[in-house]
Amino acid sequence: MEEISLTINGKNISCPPGTSILKAALENGIKIPTLCYHPHLEPVGACRLCLVEDEKTGRIMASCVTPVSPNMVIQTDSPIIKKHRINIIRLMMANHPESCIVCSQGNRCELRQIAAELGVGQIGLYPMPHYTGLEEANPFIIRDLSKCILCGKCIRADHELVVVGAIDYNLRGFKSRPSTVHEMPLEKSSCTFCGTCVSLCPTGALSLKNTRYVGSPQNESSTICGFCGVGCSLVMGSVDGQIIEVNPSHKEGTVNRSTLCVRGHFSHDFLNVSERLTSPLIRRDGELSPATWDEALEVVAKGLKSIKKKNGPQSLAFLGSSKCTVEENYLFQKIVRVILGTNNVDNCSYGSGKAVINLINEKLNGGGRIKPLAGLEAAEMIFVVGADPTQSVPVVGYSLKRASNMKRIPLIVADPRKTDLVSFSSLWLPLAPHSDFAMLNALAAILYKRQSYDIDFINKFTEGFDLYCDGLSSVDLKKVSRFTGLDIKLMEKAADLIEGKKIAFVIGHGIMQQRYGTLAMDALLNLALMTGSLGGDGQGIYLLARENNQMGAWDMGAAPDFLPGRQSLYNDIIRKHWEQNWEVKLSPDPGLNIIRMIEEAEKHNLKALYIMGENPLRSLPQPKRISNALNNLELLIVQDILDTETTQLADVVLPGAAFSEKGGTFTNLEGRIQSFEPVVSPPGEAKPDWEILDLLFAKMGYSKRYSSLKDIRAEISNLVPMYSELGGNGVETWIKETSNMRLFHPDREREPIHFSPVITTKNEKSEKDYPFTAILGSLRYHLGSGTRTGYSDRIRDFGLKGEAEMSSEDSAGLNLKEGDKVRISSPYGSISREVTIKRDLSPGLIFIPIAFQNNDSRQLIELTQLGEADSPGWKECQVKVEKLET
Amino acid sequence: MTKPEEIDWGQLEAIIDKHRGESWALIPLLQDIQETFGYIPEESIETIAEALNLFASQVQGVISFYAGLSLKPKGKYVIKACRGTACHVKGGRSILRYMKKELGLDEGETSPDYKFTLETVACLGACFLAPAMMVNRAYFGKLSPPKVTSILAEYGKKKGED
Repeated sequence: MEEISLTINGKNISCPPGTSILKAALENGIKIPTLCYHPHLEPVGACRLCLVEDEKTGRIMASCVTPVSPNMVIQTDSPIIKKHRINIIRLMMANHPESCIVCSQGNRCELRQIAAELGVGQIGLYPMPHYTGLEEANPFIIRDLSKCILCGKCIRADHELVVVGAIDYNLRGFKSRPSTVHEMPLEKSSCTFCGTCVSLCPTGALSLKNTRYVGSPQNESSTICGFCGVGCSLVMGSVDGQIIEVNPSHKEGTVNRSTLCVRGHFSHDFLNVSERLTSPLIRRDGELSPATWDEALEVVAKGLKSIKKKNGPQSLAFLGSSKCTVEENYLFQKIVRVILGTNNVDNCSYGSGKAVINLINEKLNGGGRIKPLAGLEAAEMIFVVGADPTQSVPVVGYSLKRASNMKRIPLIVADPRKTDLVSFSSLWLPLAPHSDFAMLNALAAILYKRQSYDIDFINKFTEGFDLYCDGLSSVDLKKVSRFTGLDIKLMEKAADLIEGKKIAFVIGHGIMQQRYGTLAMDALLNLALMTGSLGGDGQGIYLLARENNQMGAWDMGAAPDFLPGRQSLYNDIIRKHWEQNWEVKLSPDPGLNIIRMIEEAEKHNLKALYIMGENPLRSLPQPKRISNALNNLELLIVQDILDTETTQLADVVLPGAAFSEKGGTFTNLEGRIQSFEPVVSPPGEAKPDWEILDLLFAKMGYSKRYSSLKDIRAEISNLVPMYSELGGNGVETWIKETSNMRLFHPDREREPIHFSPVITTKNEKSEKDYPFTAILGSLRYHLGSGTRTGYSDRIRDFGLKGEAEMSSEDSAGLNLKEGDKVRISSPYGSISREVTIKRDLSPGLIFIPIAFQNNDSRQLIELTQLGEADSPGWKECQVKVEKLET
Repeated sequence: MTKPEEIDWGQLEAIIDKHRGESWALIPLLQDIQETFGYIPEESIETIAEALNLFASQVQGVISFYAGLSLKPKGKYVIKACRGTACHVKGGRSILRYMKKELGLDEGETSPDYKFTLETVACLGACFLAPAMMVNRAYFGKLSPPKVTSILAEYGKKKGED
């Protein structure tokens, strides 16, 4: 379409039709004051401050909602406009309480800033403030609606960005205010306390509760959130070297736009708690006591060397970290492989989908890694399998809800539980736990029967389709229906929604941590190949990584079978290549994964373990077993930021820095590589982890030193093709797809991808003594095992108890009422919980949120309960439930 | 007009079902309920929202915005006293005061037996009849205290009865 040309303040401008006058002006560096406008929200023209005048017609218009038209001559600051603006501000101030001096918004108040700019001091109007009570019962947000100017940013953020719908305007005229349904307090509404509304509120109507400091921060700087795999861009405000508040960054093109979640916004208390480690510690006479860095590293280096000399390199093991940076994981595994000559290196996210990742890696040859979340909102259809992103990775949940609610993209949710996402879906498949593989194969069989598949894609890129078809034609839907608990009609309906479309699969821990996870992933990849849903934007497989740098830790080779770049250790050519790079002979022996490390420690074969930034004693199943195993070690070195269950057992403790106290890089679940700078300095003598590792290199006698992050980034970008752009221009880059499997261009040479065999049932042994299936899953208030989020005062004050959810049928059968206490036991341990009754839960299921009560729910599962092909099987287990008399 | 305890929830569900899935039909649906029951029971907000794929807060916002929709049960007879300029000049203020006394109700209140609701309106558009009032859809003009008494008596309000 032709561009429209117009004049704004004498400047000739051209822009596409449909652009608002405000946008056209902003893009050309002309500032217009606004209160209700935000680039990520639909404009509504509520505040009227953006008035401009068309010189030709004399018309006065709100520029945010008026599109440009040809030959307009706009004045944004004429005397008449100024007069109107001043009057609007005067009226707003007449309706506003005169509490600026004590208002926590202070100089950041946009109303106050604009009033100052326009020179409005005394308003000369009779003040008519609309006093309302202060709402501050919840520990996150204070609402003082007397300061509300009705800009509607909170409401639009709630509806358009996070799609929760907890608030909307209520009443009209002078009484009009944003309100929850039935004017209930926020904690009784559907509010998820993401705090997006607080960040967007231009005045002090919405503010943070329980701040450590009242007033504006001295410094603000950008960083990347260290909690989940989304990698939100943050702005952290600090005073005297302490983080006092967190907001979404103002940068364009970030993964989270203007949103955050309750964790990212409200759970950074762990940074400033007294449990932070501030000095190296060495165990002397059974007690951990402070030491200098030199002493501590001397003990580490000597200890590792002498154990290696005595028992060989296989007696040493190392846990890298899915929370530490790309640079740190690279250095860490380099020490392990180059200096200590072993491949015994892993990280704690092994149980969060390593087996599934290996499978995808193998099949797609490392392709399909780049998955921008924005693609979901442009997908043809979305299929969520075994994921509850509104809880586990909330920002992905926002994308899915926007896709469904605003873009009307069909959404299927396959989950045993009626998750929050179900009410936004076109179809819910309430299947039995770990029956996903059968359901996926049945859908493929239905599509095959309807002759609905992408034959071009199949011919060009796959092999073994005939065999696969044989498998599909023998699928017995009735049998699958019995196994999955899904009505055949429901599966037919799902096939209707999929037919003829490219699918965007969203995969969570329901698959990644499930005992048949690899079977499900095989079935899912088959379905993706059959429908040709690989290679484009808004299709393929979106893996929901739980930890901030889970992807980066694997990419850097913090895994027993991966060299950096996720290259296979067992490939001789690749290993030779790395031997040349590092000028050392690499061990071809497979390394121990985290579970095998524990087993070897139990057998006294493992003598030393070095843990960087992980708390296995809290996060792994069977904590007794873990602590016994760790106690068997001759040397346990723990490098962490907090005094944890694991540091308590250590012989040497090295205090590291949290993400806000160091520079580094995280790779998120999209494949976005985000570098960041420190916001504040580490506490006490704590050091950024990469500096600690560099000192260790020196202590171990390695010639090369890393004096800055730049040096490490240069080495990585040089040696790892996937990260070749790391450390280049800018702070953000993307995984470089070195695989030819990314876009599936027909003209590129590649190995065809095999279809996997069709499997639709498994023999499950029934456990009479443990009749319930417990599903373990996360709630949005905690991340992982809750080591860090557990320190949040606000989340603690919120008083969540992590109640176990049971169906109304089962609770009636056990004579349980809401709030009754039960003991939940498995063959491996037992926990007690209060019960909450869920009408929508299927009988026989019980849902236990993880991370609560010191994450004791992991006592129910077996560490080594591995299912198919190393799928951990930590997602669900068989339990019995007994009522506890009070 | 229906008293809250007499709401036929089945009938209400049926009205909602008629519009299921039609998010554009919020206002007609609300009018339908308002017409049938005289008000929109607060308990039905969530059900309406679910049926129309809207947020409950949006439904409440629409109900509370329009004067023609009410969350509070109203009386069988809704009396609207005019507060327009012409009525004011003609003594509308004392007429309203008299009505309040006669009915024993303040503005916006409903009698405990759900017979009468007293409301005021910015202007009824019947200035030639000033001072004017409406009872449900019937207009009454050129009001005086005795006339008000007799109109109220017509609707079953006996003098001195509360």
